[in-house]
Amino acid sequence: MDVNPAIRLIGLGETGVKLVETLAVIAPEGVVAHSLDTDNRSLYRCHQSRTFLLGQAIPCGLGTGGDSALARAAVESDSDELAGIVDQADLVFIVAGMGGGTGTGAAPFLANLAKQAGALVVGVAATPFDCEGIQRCNQATGGLRDLKQVADAVFHFPNQDFIQLGDADIGLNQALEIANRHLCESVLGVSRMLLEPGILNVSFADLESLVRNRHSLGAVVHVEATGDDRTDDAVKKMLSHPAVRGGEMLKEANSLLVHISGAELTMAEMDTVTSAIGGCAPTARLVVGASERASGEAIQLTIVIAHTGTLAEMGDDTSSLKPDPAGKVSGLGFSDPYTAFSADSYLDLGTETGNSKRAGFAYTPPAPTADALPPECREDLIREAASEEPNRVKRRKIVQEMLPLEIVSKGRFENSEPTIHKGEDLDQPTYIRRGAILN
Amino acid sequence: MSDSQIIVGLEIGTSKVCVAVGEVSGSQAVNIIGLGQAKSRGVRKGEVIDVALAEEDVRNAIVEAEQVADVEIRSLYLGVTGSHVRGFNNTGVHPVVSADREITGDDIQDVIKNSKAINLPTDHSVVHVIRQHFRVDGQDGVLNPEGMLGAKIEVDVHVVSGRYNRLQNPIRLVNGLHMEVDDIASSALASSLAVLGTEQKELGTLVIDLGAGVTEYAVYSAGVINHTGALAVGGDHVSNDLAYGLKVPLARAEQIKIDHGSALIDPEARDLTIDLSDDSLIPGRQVNLGHLQKIMSMRLQETLELIAKDIGQAGLIEYLRAGVVLCGGGARIPNITKLARDVFNLPVAIGRSSTVSGVKNALDEPEFATPVGLIKFGAFQAQAAPRRAGFGRVIRRQVAALFGR
Ligand SMILES: Nc1nc2c(ncn2[C@@H]2O[C@H](COP(=O)(O)OP(=O)(O)OP(=O)(O)O)[C@@H](O)[C@H]2O)c(=O)[nH]1
Ligand SMILES: Nc1ncnc2c1ncn2[C@@H]1O[C@H](COP(=O)(O)OP(=O)(O)OP(=O)(O)O)[C@@H](O)[C@H]1O
Ligand SMILES: [Mg+2]
Ligand SMILES: [Mg+2]
Repeated sequence: MDVNPAIRLIGLGETGVKLVETLAVIAPEGVVAHSLDTDNRSLYRCHQSRTFLLGQAIPCGLGTGGDSALARAAVESDSDELAGIVDQADLVFIVAGMGGGTGTGAAPFLANLAKQAGALVVGVAATPFDCEGIQRCNQATGGLRDLKQVADAVFHFPNQDFIQLGDADIGLNQALEIANRHLCESVLGVSRMLLEPGILNVSFADLESLVRNRHSLGAVVHVEATGDDRTDDAVKKMLSHPAVRGGEMLKEANSLLVHISGAELTMAEMDTVTSAIGGCAPTARLVVGASERASGEAIQLTIVIAHTGTLAEMGDDTSSLKPDPAGKVSGLGFSDPYTAFSADSYLDLGTETGNSKRAGFAYTPPAPTADALPPECREDLIREAASEEPNRVKRRKIVQEMLPLEIVSKGRFENSEPTIHKGEDLDQPTYIRRGAILN
Repeated sequence: MSDSQIIVGLEIGTSKVCVAVGEVSGSQAVNIIGLGQAKSRGVRKGEVIDVALAEEDVRNAIVEAEQVADVEIRSLYLGVTGSHVRGFNNTGVHPVVSADREITGDDIQDVIKNSKAINLPTDHSVVHVIRQHFRVDGQDGVLNPEGMLGAKIEVDVHVVSGRYNRLQNPIRLVNGLHMEVDDIASSALASSLAVLGTEQKELGTLVIDLGAGVTEYAVYSAGVINHTGALAVGGDHVSNDLAYGLKVPLARAEQIKIDHGSALIDPEARDLTIDLSDDSLIPGRQVNLGHLQKIMSMRLQETLELIAKDIGQAGLIEYLRAGVVLCGGGARIPNITKLARDVFNLPVAIGRSSTVSGVKNALDEPEFATPVGLIKFGAFQAQAAPRRAGFGRVIRRQVAALFGR
């Protein structure tokens, strides 16, 4: 058997597929990426991940048009194939944008299949901007709740958070781009932490003990910094990260998995990081890992923040980790109104289609507003957002290095399925593949 | 004229949408009475990627064909293609159970049913099951076993299958325009029906349809279809390669290809240049004709070699006694027959729809092979299962040895 945990990355719906396609390029070796959608068009764009069309009979490649019940019907009909995808996996990331049909409807079902297959299941969910309308937000909330009830942990990335980082007139696209980068970094951070050898190893078992059966709603924060003050900078960046909500998230955390990686890491640096985090999260159980494998001089921090939802109280092994009462008033506030659902209640939702409005859907999560953040913190966040640009350029470069063959643009074939014949991409000009020189 | 029937063929191609209207009289003579065309904008590699655009183009082509032929089109035969469409052979077996061992019509039905029990991937569905030959107790080449004596009857069939949802996409598009699909047929099959005569099928021929997005091919030998395939590579790839290599925009590359293209490299062209200054966008630009020919011939040669390899692996090259027939827009590339002759080492001809008569235009142009062939396909179908007007299902299908002799 392989010593490394088998990690599957599964993107659902357009957002999930888009993210997984990006992740597949930069993910550490050994991570297998799958793109699943009810919509052919989004799958045609995939070149890096394995694709699977959900619901060949209905909606037969045309997308759900926002109907999550249709998506659920589609995944139910494909459950044999889906079980094959999650088979033998140790850790399954389910990446989806909540609020549309496919991601919302399919993610909880797939999470359940993966759980049944014995995998540790981590949901990575984006939720809509407020401006997308109350109905979409409600649908997203319901999906997130359903997902949380089956997955071991769900990392939640509200798109609205990222818009509030910038100016009032920040473009939606720009906000999405920032959101996507945070999402990708967090998944990458966790995968690297588990797969790359370290001086203080964070193992799959550590992550497992942190989240298995906790149904926690949490966040992953991944930051990088370079220079003489790289450690202080990284800590500052981490504390000002939108997902940390000005320290709020750390304060309420039940457990924290902190992974530090950087070349020539010193004890002092590790100390700075752990004491800073420990200071912010007095009640949390802390697991720390470190590795010297890093690119250049950067220090990278990956922090998995887990809040134990109230559902976990039903499991007896988690009694020692009951959330402290104050923790219940977390900014996310999902757990309480929904504890009435038993773990398998989401399965019934499929039959509950048609005119019946789903019972719990009327709830919208209070969007964290910029005012809720302390002013200094807001300043920091804005500066952070402004400094995104150089970072982005750097990431692109890495992608280029890893794909030396992607020299020719796909031109006319951008949006179509690549023509791969015996491993050769026939969309690339023949004369280039054959090494002919034009002189 | 009362017993004549209108049959319509539609190809939603990568470069053009084409509708052919045929009139079939009782004697099976096909007369093309109208053609409608539109530039195709929503298709890549033979498959619809933009439904709205494709729908508009199909509608325009239909309207034009209706005007030319002066008919109202309510149903049509639809060509399907794409990298997901594949062909393979299968055999059905059936023991003859009657006491006297005489093969009955029921036995034949049963063995055909057995040949259709195919293990396809769950997401695939059957497009065609085409009967080749029967075998009775191992005796080859039986045309009609009814009445013969035997213990075991077998039938060889050629099966064409495709991904279900990808086959449904163009069907839904046509339905969305309030027309029925009488049946679908693989473009490879349709084109071969258009350009091959009985003798060529008997002797053994390879038909290659060089389209813009897909290159399809079909092999006939001993009168029946033996092998089909599709490569999602075509004229668009030639243009794309040229655009990249000559550093010109794609549309410009397409034009240069049509104006100056060749399938072979002419040593004299090495130092010649083509002036692009007539194009106001690129004043004073020149491209090297030698480069153009090199890029183009390498792509075309590769495409033909991939087909040659596939046919070779199927062990069919030596059965191609009537050589190779080219159709599709790519058949118009200068010197393509010479290149194909070099690759296959067989005689090569350009396909003409010789066995139908009608609008002259349609017969002379190799790119109309698919829609014209669809009419022939439809005529065979209609003969096997006469139409009951008004009772149409979305897809009517008759599995029979329709195409062959
Ligand atoms: N973070 C992030 N969120 C996105 C992105 N694109 C869309 N979203 C959000 O994700 C939600 C779901 O949208 P999609 O992923 O397109 O929906 P789907 O799952 O494909 O569902 P259907 O198309 O309705 O079947 C939207 O409401 C957006 O808020 C993106 O690139 N990044
Ligand atoms: N004279 C010519 N020289 C070079 N190429 C040509 C010429 N005439 C047509 N073509 C090419 O033939 C292609 C069009 O062929 P055709 O009409 O058979 O394709 P299609 O049926 O639309 O596509 P497909 O069957 O692949 O979906 C185009 O790529 C076009 O550039
Ligand atoms: Mg979608
Ligand atoms: Mg064609």
